[in-house]
Amino acid sequence: MNAFEYFAPTTLKEAIDILNEKGEEASILNGGTDLIVRMRDGISDPKYVVDIKKIKGMDDIRIENGRVFIGASALLNDLGNNQDIQKRYPFLSKAALSIGSKQVRNRATCIGNICNASPLAGMATPLLALNATVHVFGNYGEKDILLKDFFVFVRKTLLKHGEIVTGISFEEQACLGVFTKISRRRKVDLSTVCSTVVKKYDEYRISFGAVAPTPVRLNKTEAFLKGKMLSKDIIEKACELAMSEVSPISDIRASESYRRELVQVMLRNSLSQWY
Amino acid sequence: MKKVINFTLNGEVVEHAVDTNKTLLKMLREDFELTGAKEGCGAGECGACTVIMNEKAVNSCLVLAVEIEGASITTIEGLTLDGILDPLQESFIDNAALQCGYCTPGMIMTAKVLLNENPHPTEEEIKEGISGNLCRCTGYKKIVEAIEKVANDNEE
Ligand SMILES: Cc1cc2nc3c(=O)[nH]c(=O)nc-3n(C[C@H](O)[C@H](O)[C@H](O)COP(=O)(O)OP(=O)(O)OC[C@H]3O[C@@H](n4cnc5c(N)ncnc54)[C@H](O)[C@@H]3O)c2cc1C
Ligand code: FES
Ligand code: FES
Repeated sequence: MNAFEYFAPTTLKEAIDILNEKGEEASILNGGTDLIVRMRDGISDPKYVVDIKKIKGMDDIRIENGRVFIGASALLNDLGNNQDIQKRYPFLSKAALSIGSKQVRNRATCIGNICNASPLAGMATPLLALNATVHVFGNYGEKDILLKDFFVFVRKTLLKHGEIVTGISFEEQACLGVFTKISRRRKVDLSTVCSTVVKKYDEYRISFGAVAPTPVRLNKTEAFLKGKMLSKDIIEKACELAMSEVSPISDIRASESYRRELVQVMLRNSLSQWY
Repeated sequence: MKKVINFTLNGEVVEHAVDTNKTLLKMLREDFELTGAKEGCGAGECGACTVIMNEKAVNSCLVLAVEIEGASITTIEGLTLDGILDPLQESFIDNAALQCGYCTPGMIMTAKVLLNENPHPTEEEIKEGISGNLCRCTGYKKIVEAIEKVANDNEE
């Protein structure tokens, strides 16, 4: 790991000022479970590291004014073990606790996972299916970006240099949901494919990770299912459609065709819970 | 590039100038000669470097030393008070829960937090609890038993 200058600002304004002053050679450090590994491997080589964990009020998880808010520095373990989340959105909690090991989740944040924008990001599919909004702070003030627009490509988001994500929120909603993660090893392994299927009355929201350059919603399959009563036949048709809607690749974890096959198996198993 | 940090290390208040690009693991081993925490993978996968930071188990290879400003760190060396071993250390020895011993410090620190948070874990909870720690020698059975024994003593 090369030498760098370390900053630990205590306010957002201070953090933004440092990022703007230092320019492209500055990196935001949250839990560090992605960034520190990348720095160690020489893939990232920042001259300035801006640790945002000392900024006050960034680590809370709260439900207020009809929205669930997850702060930028909220840990995956804190999200996964949060009792309100476990009760109302168990699939979100399950996704959080599916990432890494207990030690990793004691450092890793939900927002870091989203900002890292891996195609297999564990937190992406439940939050996409919950229609989440990303809250961003820059020198212009605050702005919101819909999570479905946030991911641009592998490890690329709409974030510009000098912007910090302060949190993610979604509307309180009565819904059912299923999170599924398929990995080679049961614990401490990345997803071969992961998914979340949410059912709100007769509306279905389906998201998959590791089947395209970014985590994706399966819009065509969702449109097909909307308003329909689930039956064996309908589920089969939806699975066919879902397989045609994804564009997986082959890599060390699985082949393209195995991933495509997993998409239909995972969707079938998820939808079958309500049929 | 160095930065002065203040923290508590095994109960002692410390002020130390550390290279910003050193991980907590490297700092413990190189600057404090606390070589209990081991580097297995250096990337969060194996748990050999596990230490306790503010009552939570963390991989010290994934924490920059400068990030521990104000924190309290306990390493395996800190579990032994005046030469008296921690019950977990005793139990790992008594139950032959180690062979090469490389994973042991990390395993014990993880188990320490597990038992602090849940003094009476089930076998399943112990397995889940140590799932972030790899052992290449024992096959885990004796490790789980060693932890179970300490948990049973908690009950008395
Ligand atoms: C052993 C191991 C196993 C893992 N298993 C999984 C897994 O199963 N599934 C999975 O999805 N991930 C996994 N990960 C990856 C990682 O733990 C997560 O992606 C983690 O949630 C990232 O959060 P962080 O706070 O550590 O991010 P950091 O490493 O601090 O940051 C990640 C990136 O996001 C940027 N960033 C962070 N916060 C902000 C912000 N508020 N505003 C703007 N930019 C920001 C950083 O600059 C950096 O580029 C694993 C990692 C390890 C080491
Ligand atoms: S050396 Fe830290 S987890 Fe392997
Ligand atoms: S005893 Fe050798 S790795 Fe566990």
